[in-house]
Amino acid sequence: MGLVEWYNGLHMDYDGQARAEKLSRIIILLFGAVGFIWGYIIQQFSETVRILGAGFVLAAILTIPPWPMYMKKALAWQKVRPNTGEGDVSERRRMRTYNFPV
Amino acid sequence: MHSAFTRSHALAAYTVSVLAGLTFVCFATTAFRDYSANATIDTVTVLVRNVPDYSASREKNDMGFMIFDLKADLRPLFNWNVKQLFLYLTAEYQTPNNKLNQVVIWDKIIQRGENAVLDHKNIRPKYYFWDDGNGLKGNKNVTLTLSWNVIPNAGHLPNVVATGSHRFSFPDEYTTSKM
Repeated sequence: MGLVEWYNGLHMDYDGQARAEKLSRIIILLFGAVGFIWGYIIQQFSETVRILGAGFVLAAILTIPPWPMYMKKALAWQKVRPNTGEGDVSERRRMRTYNFPV
Repeated sequence: MHSAFTRSHALAAYTVSVLAGLTFVCFATTAFRDYSANATIDTVTVLVRNVPDYSASREKNDMGFMIFDLKADLRPLFNWNVKQLFLYLTAEYQTPNNKLNQVVIWDKIIQRGENAVLDHKNIRPKYYFWDDGNGLKGNKNVTLTLSWNVIPNAGHLPNVVATGSHRFSFPDEYTTSKM
């Protein structure tokens, strides 16, 4: 039970997900550009790969775990509606009179 | 909603894509480079023997033997896209049996970072110099050329022949002494 709750707790909200993904891409691109320029200057492609790897580690630390800064704008979910018999009948009536777009 | 595992997968895939792009640009920065250089080759001792080649038929074939000097400066060939150079020394000649013969008698691998200035004296050949037949005795026109294959990190592998080859002749008599 604790494991399931822990797994569910890993989710960020939608706005946080967008920010985390954008941040990770910016970090990787930046480290890639810097690594390329530095590698070209010292003429060692292995240094370029290493700098990109360092950028990968930094982006992983900053964007993969669900930090609190990504959970600031939670969506306001509707409250769960009670499932009584009346509710079912009115819902079925609504389904029959649904006009499909022409 | 996506989870931490989705994010880590997306990050890893994006990193590999960026790495592939960087490797392509690394190839593009060295795509049209000229990998030629000069080599000075000289022969010190030249012999020819007539012995049976047991790996082929039982007939007697000519076997050449040269001790040679080799000098070349290959440092300008290395850049960040060159992993190593594969050098090989070829003997090229013509016989009544075959119009063109090319035999590799020596080779060497120079990796990036190793000493790229060749200054060898009195090298013995690495490989046997067998002729197909008896065309080496008294052959007046045998050319030694040094070539190399550039092995990059990314891109094509050009084969370059050095400027500066050496022409020599084999003696008119066979040697029977051990060398």
